[in-house]
Amino acid sequence: MPRTEEPDTRAAVVELAGVSVRYGSAKAPVTALDGVDVRIHAGEFVVLVGPSGCGKTSLLRVVAGFERPATGRARVRGSLPRPGAGAGVVFQQPRLFPWRTVGGNLAFALARLGVPRSDRPGRIAELLERVGLPGMAGRRTWELSGGQQQRVALARALAAEPELLLMDEPFAALDALTRERLQGEVRALAGRLGTTVLFVTHSAEEAVLLGSRVLVMAAGPGRVVAELPVDLARGPGTDVSALRSSPEFARLRGRLAEIMRRGAVPGP
Amino acid sequence: MTAPTTTTAASGPDRPPQPVPEPAGTGAVADSPRRDRLREAFRWGGLRLVALAVLLAAWQAVVSAEVWPRVLVPSPGDVWRQFVLASTVHDGVRGYGGHLLIEHLGVSLGRIGTGSAYAVLAGVPLGLLIGTVRPLAVVLEPAVTFLRTLPPLAYLSLLVIWFGIDEAPKIWLLVIAALPPIAAATAAAVRTVPGQLVEAARALGSGPTALLLSVRLPCALPEILTGVRIAVGVAYTSVVAAETINGVPGIGGMIRDAQRYNQTALVIAGILAIGLSGIVLDALLRLVERIAVPWRGRV
Ligand SMILES: Nc1ncnc2c1ncn2[C@@H]1O[C@H](COP(=O)(O)OP(=O)(O)OP(=O)(O)O)[C@@H](O)[C@H]1O
Ligand SMILES: [Mg+2]
Repeated sequence: MPRTEEPDTRAAVVELAGVSVRYGSAKAPVTALDGVDVRIHAGEFVVLVGPSGCGKTSLLRVVAGFERPATGRARVRGSLPRPGAGAGVVFQQPRLFPWRTVGGNLAFALARLGVPRSDRPGRIAELLERVGLPGMAGRRTWELSGGQQQRVALARALAAEPELLLMDEPFAALDALTRERLQGEVRALAGRLGTTVLFVTHSAEEAVLLGSRVLVMAAGPGRVVAELPVDLARGPGTDVSALRSSPEFARLRGRLAEIMRRGAVPGP
Repeated sequence: MTAPTTTTAASGPDRPPQPVPEPAGTGAVADSPRRDRLREAFRWGGLRLVALAVLLAAWQAVVSAEVWPRVLVPSPGDVWRQFVLASTVHDGVRGYGGHLLIEHLGVSLGRIGTGSAYAVLAGVPLGLLIGTVRPLAVVLEPAVTFLRTLPPLAYLSLLVIWFGIDEAPKIWLLVIAALPPIAAATAAAVRTVPGQLVEAARALGSGPTALLLSVRLPCALPEILTGVRIAVGVAYTSVVAAETINGVPGIGGMIRDAQRYNQTALVIAGILAIGLSGIVLDALLRLVERIAVPWRGRV
């Protein structure tokens, strides 16, 4: 029975219902998230924006399986979130293994996937090419700049070709040109592989450029206050710099910035 | 003859044009710190030599003043003569007690090596267990601390009763002495592996075994190697105790016998041989550390 698809009848890849996250002791609890409802469907590119400390990382950590919600329900593909269960994570810091070379860090991910040893060098070269670090496989991680390290971390997360990709401000440390290049890369990749992405950023511009849907969060306690569907052209062919100069992009970015400004004011 | 010639040539009229073909002065930037370091090394090395000379002169002065009887405080020359005697075949006698000094030292080093190797083989897994399994830590950690505080001579008697007077008690003593520092260093290092790296590995699909072997162990390796270096040092200080009974050949046995016959100069020569070889070995282990764990301090 072919029917028009409604969002709620589709199986959600990520489902958060009434999720709260608390840190600290019972005496002095910090409520990082309070009653958050989020549903993310397969192939969506959802961007979280909001001021520093509003709980973006906390939300991502719940989905990654590193944080258990104090209340509410968190599900990834119908099961309890568990680290390493198919979600690729790019953390806010590169978190590379210093005892391994750049290539060794990628090999670590490939080994966990069971990629045969002989296939790894080729895959590593290809991944490094993709993040703009060709020929860097033999380098020591600490010889790299912060932005280069973050790109290796991105390559390491991409190595598994995960169906769900969680990214926490991955491009914050990059120069404008490299950032644009990688934004295009991630956008194209997600479109090509149909990857579901949950992406955190501070930048309204980046949110509109990448997202198919933007969730605006506010602090005190952390919650989702607004949602903005983005309908900029998607797909592998779309050029990020062309998108950026389109009037549609400017309009959406303006609207999002407006929403973010209003969201920053606590309460109506 | 060739070396001075090149030096003169380098500082002669050929010298000034040399920097010109170098591109943009990068050579000078890369070169000068190395030369500074060399100069630094020479300066401190020189200071050490001066200190050594002062020490030897003071020693000789004390002996010449005859403050103490010669049999208690032999002169540097006496020690040197004993050193030479113990290191050569003379009047058909091979060194001291039928073995050259270097052979005594070699046997002791062999025991230190064997004892330390067993200590690493047992201590690293033990430390990994203590560092990762809470109930084991509760039980084993005090035991390791207990062993660590015991002076080796205290358990030597027990080891002799159990294992006799041949190699076994000596190796056991060195293993018992060297194991605690390795286990303790490994346990501490495994515990302090940054949670951020553990999370990154878990996100990539690492299970408990992969986490232990591919993350915690390599991350702890710098501290483990430091523990090994400390353990070899402990084995060094214990080997003389291990060789107090039936210790010949062995540098400790040699010192022990020399003491019995009031050969003070030979005792001192033996002590110097242990100490100097210890410095060399420590330097070697530091080198191994630098090469094996270049990421030290970067985690
Ligand atoms: N481990 C923790 N222990 C205690 N409090 C924490 C912890 N992690 C986060 N918090 C608190 O929870 C709140 C949300 O933090 P979170 O890191 O999720 O914010 P964020 O939106 O990612 O901020 P940023 O944009 O600066 O990265 C903050 O008030 C923070 O202080
Ligand atoms: Mg954050």
